[in-house]
Amino acid sequence: MEILYIDPGSGSYLVQVLIAGVLGIAFFFRNIVLFLRHFFHKLFGKKDRNQ
Amino acid sequence: MKLSPSRHPSSYRDPSGFVFKYNSLFYRQVNKLYAADYESFMERLYPKLVEKRMIIPHEEVILPFESSGDAYKMILPEQLLFISYPYEWSFDMLKDAALLTLNIQKTAMANSMTLKDATPYNIQWKDGKMIFIDTLSFEPYDPSLPWIAYRQFCEMFLAPLVLMHYSRKPLQELMLSYPEGIPLSVVSAMLPLKSLFRLHIYLHLHLNANYAGKRSVEPKGGFTEKKLRDIIDSLYSAVTSSRLENKTTWGAYYEEARERTDYIAFKKQVVNEWTIDLQGIDEVLDLGGNDGSFSQLLAMQGKRVVCADFDHMAINSLYKNGRATNVHPLLLDFSHPSPAIGFNNTERMSFHERAASDLVLFLALIHHICLGRNVPLGALAGSLSRISKNLIIEFIPKDDSKVKEMLETRTNPFSDYDRESFEIAFSEYFNIIRSVPLASSGRMLYLMGRKPS
Repeated sequence: MEILYIDPGSGSYLVQVLIAGVLGIAFFFRNIVLFLRHFFHKLFGKKDRNQ
Repeated sequence: MKLSPSRHPSSYRDPSGFVFKYNSLFYRQVNKLYAADYESFMERLYPKLVEKRMIIPHEEVILPFESSGDAYKMILPEQLLFISYPYEWSFDMLKDAALLTLNIQKTAMANSMTLKDATPYNIQWKDGKMIFIDTLSFEPYDPSLPWIAYRQFCEMFLAPLVLMHYSRKPLQELMLSYPEGIPLSVVSAMLPLKSLFRLHIYLHLHLNANYAGKRSVEPKGGFTEKKLRDIIDSLYSAVTSSRLENKTTWGAYYEEARERTDYIAFKKQVVNEWTIDLQGIDEVLDLGGNDGSFSQLLAMQGKRVVCADFDHMAINSLYKNGRATNVHPLLLDFSHPSPAIGFNNTERMSFHERAASDLVLFLALIHHICLGRNVPLGALAGSLSRISKNLIIEFIPKDDSKVKEMLETRTNPFSDYDRESFEIAFSEYFNIIRSVPLASSGRMLYLMGRKPS
């Protein structure tokens, strides 16, 4: 049931906890991918001077 | 003298203070309730935001009257040329306002503060950039809590941007219909299926919609700064990946008009000569300004210009190119200008309440208003006389090739639309000071001054 007379912040706390959980996992794997990409770039000599 | 400044009608939500007008300048009162937060904001965050040109600078002032009992300080911010609202901004203006809000939140968190609201009404265009204007929007940051303004950010910034991205249409009208933000259940229903497969869009709009408006047990603590940073980064990705590129009739108008270079060049020359001679012109409104060529011309003379046009791409490219910092881009249909909205119909001003100018340019627009939208010449003259002290207006006759194209499918003969009727209608409100035929186009350019009422 939707409740129309509550503070707009309500409900957004729970969803932020949930979303932060999903993002924590997503960004964890993204960081692994970035790390591996960086690692192999270094290993096979494709030097990227910006990193 | 006991005098309590009267609040600006849009400034009633925040108990921390309010905006008021005094001697034609806008001030902000900081209430005692907000004193501690204000001082920590001024010490920790304000200098950094001003240095990065993210927030409008202000000075603390003492005013010659006793203010209300709850006043702590009075501040005088740098004044703005013109107040515009998000439904009058092009896509990239709203997008930059969204990114500005996220960047401010990041900077705030790094300095132990947080934004307590996230609304585009706290942002204005100034000198070519979007800038934050609500000095009282900050409070101390508690890392164990999520972001209080998260839902508001999604509804007021992310939702319209993503809807425009997927529909490939400018949908500024939605922001006019939903001034508190587009409800997420509406957004989620309007988005295409493929939006479900983009992580950041799915999380902040679709998943978020399932929780919107439901009462939940608020967690006490348990959140971390890292988690909030992830959410802000994710919102940032969702905003930056939204784009709106569409082609419209008028974006290439001046390209086409190059075929008639003598006409445009001569018109520019005349406008330039007339405006250099005019005294007391500071604020100019360029109606139907398209991509701002004539606005730029007046800006080069040091005038402050608002360039309004109903064509989204013209206004968006004027903003993006940012060629002149004193031309305010404004998305507006003059035959259907922004109404007054909000509580008591006074919270957001109508366009006409904000439009008063020293000079109005009305070039190559009269046929769209009077023939395209059937507005009688006299009604147009009356409307322009209420907003302009001086007027430069181009009359385009019915036998003009562009007008002929427009009238091909119309049955209305517009028998009272001709040069003579035009001069009679406008003479009721204006003195015609000069007039000149524009090369061989058959069009006429007039300089008029408002008759004293």
